Amino acid sequence: MSKIKDAFWAVRNWFKKINSKITDFLVNHKMGFLVHWPDWFKALIFLAPALILLSIFIFYPIVNAFKLVIYEGYNQTDNTITGYTVFGNFITVLNEDNFLLPSSHTQSSVMINTLIIVLISVPISILLSLLIAVALNSIKPLRNFFQTIYFLPYVTNSIAIGLVFAYMFKSGDSGLINRMLGWFGIDPIAWVSNWNNNGVIIGPTFWAAMSVLIIYGVWQAMAFKIMVFLTSIQGIDKQYYQAAEIDGTPKRRIFSKITIPLISPMIFYIIITSMIGAFKTYESVIAIFGDSGAPAGATYTLKTIVFYIYDYLNNSTPGNLSLAAASSIILFAFILVLTLIQMQISKKRVHY
Amino acid sequence: MEIRLEHLTKIFTDKSGIETTAVNDLDIVIESGKLIALLGPSGCGKSTTLFMIAGLHKPTEGKIFFGDDEVTKLAPEKRGIGLVFQNYALYPHMTVRQNIMFPLENLRIKREDAIARMNEMAALVNIKELLDRKPAQLSGGQQQRVAIARALVKKPRVLLLDEPLSNLDARLRLQMREEIKRIQRETQITTIFVTHDQEEAMSISDQMVVLNFGVKQQVDAPQEMYNNPDNIFVAKFLGNPPINIFKGKVKNNTLYAGKTPIGPVEVQDGQYDVGVRPEDFRVDDKGFDVNITEIFHIGRDTLIHFDESGTDTRALVDSDSILPGQTKVKLSVKKGKIHLFDETSGLVVGHV
Repeated sequence: MSKIKDAFWAVRNWFKKINSKITDFLVNHKMGFLVHWPDWFKALIFLAPALILLSIFIFYPIVNAFKLVIYEGYNQTDNTITGYTVFGNFITVLNEDNFLLPSSHTQSSVMINTLIIVLISVPISILLSLLIAVALNSIKPLRNFFQTIYFLPYVTNSIAIGLVFAYMFKSGDSGLINRMLGWFGIDPIAWVSNWNNNGVIIGPTFWAAMSVLIIYGVWQAMAFKIMVFLTSIQGIDKQYYQAAEIDGTPKRRIFSKITIPLISPMIFYIIITSMIGAFKTYESVIAIFGDSGAPAGATYTLKTIVFYIYDYLNNSTPGNLSLAAASSIILFAFILVLTLIQMQISKKRVHY
Repeated sequence: MEIRLEHLTKIFTDKSGIETTAVNDLDIVIESGKLIALLGPSGCGKSTTLFMIAGLHKPTEGKIFFGDDEVTKLAPEKRGIGLVFQNYALYPHMTVRQNIMFPLENLRIKREDAIARMNEMAALVNIKELLDRKPAQLSGGQQQRVAIARALVKKPRVLLLDEPLSNLDARLRLQMREEIKRIQRETQITTIFVTHDQEEAMSISDQMVVLNFGVKQQVDAPQEMYNNPDNIFVAKFLGNPPINIFKGKVKNNTLYAGKTPIGPVEVQDGQYDVGVRPEDFRVDDKGFDVNITEIFHIGRDTLIHFDESGTDTRALVDSDSILPGQTKVKLSVKKGKIHLFDETSGLVVGHV
C-alpha cells in the first residue's frame, strides 16, 4: 500500500517539476500570459457552464417574452407581425373569458383558481409542516423513518401522484377516501366526477373538485417544508430549551415564544418560495383532471394561470404567443408585488 | 438552603453501548448561603454534577437533597433553581427586559409585581439603562449580568453558574468575579459555580470541591486546600506557577532529594513524591546548594529554575536576593511547606 502511495507521490512531484519548467520557459520567452491568467478570467471560466445554460433557458426567454408582448398578430410559422402595441396584449388577456373574471356561464376564472390555491394551500401546508417538524424533533425512535416517509412526495413524479390522487378520490363508495369517510358515517362525496340519477354526467361541485387540488398541493409541498423546518429547529441551541425548562415554561409557550421566533427567517423564506410555487400550480390539474382542466360535465374550469399560458402556447393561432407572454408577465408582476409586500412585513416580524 | 449530594453517580451510554462514568459516587454537603466552586480539569464531571443539581440530567444513582426535601426525581422547574449557562443562553429575539421577565410570565404573579421584581434585579446587577437592548447589542460582561438577573428574578433557592467567566476577557473576568461575589453576598443565596480556573475558584469561593474523572478529590476552604492538599492531584491542580514535584527519600527522619538533604521530617523511611510550592523556597545561607539554570525577573519576585534530582524545579524568591547572572544559591524550604505524597496512591503522607 505504501509503495503505491510512494509511486503516486513521485508521479505528482514529476508533474510539478514539468509544470514549473514549462512555466519558467514561457515566462522567460515573454509568453507568461499563457499561464498567468488574471483572476477575472479564471472566474469567468468557472462561471461559464452555469452562465451559458442560464442564458439559453432563462435570460433569453425572459427577454423574448418582453419582446413578444409588444407584437401584434405575431405568426410564429412565417415569423411575421402585423404591428406593435404596448398594452394591447395585456388588455386582450385581461378581457379574455375566464382569465380575470368568470364569464357568465361558468363559476370560476383562472385567476380566482390560482388565488384560491395559493391563499388556502400555502398557510395550511406551512402550519401542518411546522407542527410535524416539531413533533418529529421531539421523538427519537423512528425519527429517520418518518422523515423519509414525509420526504417521499418530494422525490416522486407529480403526474404519478396526481393519477393516484384521482384514483383515491374516486366518486361513489369505491374510492379510498370515500370509504374512509364511510367509517365515520359520512356519505360518499362526489370529488372528481358525478352523475345524476339517469346516468348523465353532471360533474362534481366546484369546491369538491377544488379541495382535491388543495389537498394535493398541501401534501406535495409539505415534504420540503418539513425538511427545512426540522433542520432549522435542530440548529437551535439546546441551551435555550434548557433555560426555558428550568423556568417551567409550558410546551405551547416554548413553541410560540422560542421556536417560532428563532426559526422565523426560515419561515419567511418558506412562505415566499411556497407562494411562488403555488402560483405556478399546473401538473396537479393536468394529472387529476386531464387536458380539459375541469371534471367531465363541469360548468366551471379548474385551470390555473400557468395552465392558461400553456393553452396559448399549444394553440398556434397567430398572436397567441404574444398573449402567452402577456399572461406570464402578469403572473410575474403578481408574484413580484406579493413578495415585496411580504418583505416589508417581514422587516417587522422576522427577528435578527 | 443546604444542598446534600449522596452517592451521586452519572453514567452516560453512547450509541454503541460504551459507558462513560462522568460522576462517580459523589458525597458532598454544601452549606446554606455559601458560594461554592466546583473545580476540576475539563471532562472531570463538574458540569454534569451541576446539571444533575439543576435537574437537566437524571442521575444514574444517588440522591440529591435541598434542605430536607429530596429533589432527585423532581422536574427542574419545581426545584427552585436559577441557572446561568456558559454562553448565557439569552433569547436573541427578546430585549433584556423581555428576557428577565420571561421566567416570571410562567408564574402566577401580578404584572406590577413582576415589573417591580424585574427592576429590582436590573438594579442589583447594574443594567438598568440596558433594558431595551437586544442581547446582540451587549458586551460579554453585560450579557453575563442579564443572565444572572434572569436566573435570580424567580427568587430561586439555589443559584447555579456554569463556567460563568470563561467567555469574558481577562479584565472583565476580574471585574465580574467580584461582581458575582457581591451579588451572592447581597442576596445570601446558596450559589454553586463550575470552573476549570483554579485562581478564579480560589479568589471568590467560600468552599471548593475539586473533582477529577468524576471522583471527589477534596472539599475545603480555598486557602486550607492550597496549604494542605489531600493528594498529589489537588496539589498539582492548585497554584500558579505549579507546585514542584520531585522524587525524595526519607532516611533516619531526614528528607533527601538525590543526595541533598532538604530537612528533617518525621515519617517512615522510604521513597516519596515530594511537593514544594515555588514560593515556599527562600534564600537561606544554611540551606542546600542549587545550580541556577535560568533566571526570570518578574517585578516583585524572581523566578529561578534549577535542577533537582533530574526534575526542572522552580523557585519564586525575593528579587533582591538574586543578582543577575548568579549561578549558585543556597535555598531552604519554609516550615510546614514540604508535602510528602505516597508514590503509588498519591495520597498525602504529611506536611512538614
